Amino acid sequence: MTSRSTVLRVQEINLVFGGIQALNNISFDVQTGDIYSIIGPNGAGKTSLLNCINNFYHPERGKIIFNGQNLTRLPPYKIAKLGVARTFQNTALYTGLSTLDNLMAARHIHMHSGMLKSILYWGPAQREDLRHRKVVEEIIDFLEIAHIRKSIVGALPHGLRKRVELGRALALEPELLLLDEPMTGMNQEEKEDMARFILDINERQETTILLIEHDMGVVMDIVDQIVVLDFGVKIAEGIPDEIRHNEAVINAYLGKPEIQ
Amino acid sequence: MNEVDTLPKSLLAAYERFGGQKTAMRQKDLGIWRSFTWKDSYEQVKYLCLGLIQLGLQPGDKVCIIGDNDPQYFWAQLAIQSGLGVAVGIFTDCAPNEIEYIVSHSDAVFVFAKDQEQCDKLLEIKDDVEKVKRVIYWEEKGLWNYQQQWLTSYQDIQKLGQEFDQGNPDFFENLVNQGQVEDLAIFCYTSGTTALPKGAMISHSNLIVGCDQTLIVDSREDTDEYLSFLPPAWITENILGLTFHLRTGMIVNFPEAPETVQDNIREITPQALLFSARLWENMMAIVQVKLADTSWINRNLHQLFMPVGYKVAHLRYEVRKPVGILWQLLNWIGEFAIFQPLRDKFGLTKVKSAYSSGAALNPDVIRFFRAIGVNIKQLYGSTEAQVHTLHVGEDVKFETVGVPAPGQEIKIAADSEILISGGTVFQGYYKDLEATKKALRSDEQGKIWFHTGDAGYLDEDGHLIYMDRVKELITMESGEHYSPQYIEGQLKFSPYIRDVMTLGGETKPFVTALINIDFDNVGRWAEKHGVPYTTFVDLSQRPEVYDLISQDVERVNTYLPAAIHIHKFVLLHKEFDADEGELTRTRKLRRRLLNERYADMIDTMYGEGDVVKVRATVKYRDGREGTTETNVRVATLITEEERE
Repeated sequence: MTSRSTVLRVQEINLVFGGIQALNNISFDVQTGDIYSIIGPNGAGKTSLLNCINNFYHPERGKIIFNGQNLTRLPPYKIAKLGVARTFQNTALYTGLSTLDNLMAARHIHMHSGMLKSILYWGPAQREDLRHRKVVEEIIDFLEIAHIRKSIVGALPHGLRKRVELGRALALEPELLLLDEPMTGMNQEEKEDMARFILDINERQETTILLIEHDMGVVMDIVDQIVVLDFGVKIAEGIPDEIRHNEAVINAYLGKPEIQ
Repeated sequence: MNEVDTLPKSLLAAYERFGGQKTAMRQKDLGIWRSFTWKDSYEQVKYLCLGLIQLGLQPGDKVCIIGDNDPQYFWAQLAIQSGLGVAVGIFTDCAPNEIEYIVSHSDAVFVFAKDQEQCDKLLEIKDDVEKVKRVIYWEEKGLWNYQQQWLTSYQDIQKLGQEFDQGNPDFFENLVNQGQVEDLAIFCYTSGTTALPKGAMISHSNLIVGCDQTLIVDSREDTDEYLSFLPPAWITENILGLTFHLRTGMIVNFPEAPETVQDNIREITPQALLFSARLWENMMAIVQVKLADTSWINRNLHQLFMPVGYKVAHLRYEVRKPVGILWQLLNWIGEFAIFQPLRDKFGLTKVKSAYSSGAALNPDVIRFFRAIGVNIKQLYGSTEAQVHTLHVGEDVKFETVGVPAPGQEIKIAADSEILISGGTVFQGYYKDLEATKKALRSDEQGKIWFHTGDAGYLDEDGHLIYMDRVKELITMESGEHYSPQYIEGQLKFSPYIRDVMTLGGETKPFVTALINIDFDNVGRWAEKHGVPYTTFVDLSQRPEVYDLISQDVERVNTYLPAAIHIHKFVLLHKEFDADEGELTRTRKLRRRLLNERYADMIDTMYGEGDVVKVRATVKYRDGREGTTETNVRVATLITEEERE
């Protein structure tokens, strides 16, 4: 496709923890509507890079441009409002709330009723609540989690929690979705389900997806572009077929024993 | 005016009767129950049918449907039948090769496939099912970017139909009225565990007769609620769901997703339910488990009132005596304290007809549900002849599967096979004359009997007792047939019996049993009744324990035909053990090995004497071997003289 625009531009990002250069001059562009993956051995700096994008970490140098706007100076909640949502490697949900409440909580950035209106819950506030509930219900239907709508998230198995977290990210109606290892700790069937959901999300709303994943089988199957990191350095970038045959990548993944 | 003798005609009649006001169906969508009126159903079916005609559906064509319980499934089936076609249901968990077999074998020209998952399976087998002109889906999710011409959406077909209808307003009604009562309505493919699946051909007449005669003993109102969760490809859902719906106006509710059925039952509180025996057992187990987590007040109420419920149910259903005023009062308090809340948890507050089918249901489960006010009834049937027997009203017996449904005639063949005759008996297997000849045979009077392949017998009250498949039966010396599985299953319902092997066969004059006591339960019983014991061996040989088990064996004898009564049994000095190869890992008996190992005891039971000295080698888990020596007693329930 020709008329693709760049939705996210990562420019010469440098991140240092004390003496450790976590990210070293990382640059790449993500096109609208692509599924983009960051891969690399443990400690390569993948999650750090994601954390830079929604500004949990503040890079020493470099820019992250999302739709023409530099994100490096914005607080995370403003970045969320701009349309960047994410999930975490270790799920970070409100474990004491139900699935439904977790998803509704994510809608707050789209809510406008003030405290007084919300307490009265009449007229506009009620209409707004219903509107958001509908969006959330559509996500519940989409992710096939209707049976756990009222279940407390803390009591759910891991695979379902991951799905709820994905649902919460979707509830933000993001333009760019950051997924940090969405399939860790899942069995084969759950992984296939998750891969299908990721493809469907991408297909349905042209949501751009940037994901970190260790399962190469999944990555090679579903993504459009891959960037490979090793010790904070970008060693390769390209479509799955190129990456599969790239010397540097094979060395980084297979050449040296890694601590798992 | 035409008689209402097909399913589509029943739809037209119901639409005329209820119109656009009354709710026909409901489905939970995005968390809200949405209603469809009879007018909605009528229009959905009409446009879909006309659309199919536009695409070339001919009378007698077969159309497959693969999908979960959705209004769209029912509409698709009715649309196919309105177009004088035959609907062929396929289970959603079928693998592509199984789907391929059924689609090719049934000569289907269209396939309804619910969603991406099913469409993917069909795309996989596309080259092998050349007769299929179109695949029609009704859930779009994930299919947005599929570019195949072969796949069409439900709405697109209906749009075609709607356009056609504008120029031909009476076409649909005329088409429906051309339907004949003897036309084939559905094919139900039987699950082939050993052979390839066979397609049972079922006519409109079969369905309508089956429905109407079941309604005589189990009526429905047009305000009744029903939750459709049994697989719609199965005959049972076609009768209890779709046909009942069309004939009585009963409201059919569709669950949000297969996983939400339990929640949805609670929301709907249906008047009629059919669960497998396994599911009823599960529900009872859930109560036991949750009881451990509940507050002490609930636990105490449960402890206080459950015995009341059991007592009242016992008086009412088993002794069949009037219940005393004091018990009634206590039961009434119990109703408020726990019975009603428990029923509410399961969505059983309004249930009139609670059925169990599949395997025999443990009497303990039946007693439990009776205690909380739900009288579970057994229902026995087949794809080929629908409901054979069922429990009617209060006439429920644990060990039976009920009495023949009105209009069903039942006969037991010489080899104990159950034969059925009546209006529900199917029209044969599609393209399988040989199997049809085997299943449908006429007697001297020319009456057609369906040979079920099941074995059983009728008791003195006319209740049918189901034993086993005919091919599992064993012939006794007297020529009588008996089913080891059945007798063993009945004995194992006793909490004191853990395992049992019955013996019989052509060389044996009567049935005997080797019984394993349940050490925990019998031990507890012994403590309560002041029976001292030391080890398993000691406990198993106590005369009091022999008396206890004798009661259970005699109870089972009371409903067995005299020729297969258990005459003698022994209580084994040790448990059957998988480590010793006596059981498989799934706890099935290794009969041949047991026959050899316990030959002494078996010989004694069929010979003289009533004590056997046993030296059994025991293999310990660490691999060592040891021996035990003990005397095992033979208990005689029916003596030689009595036998004469």
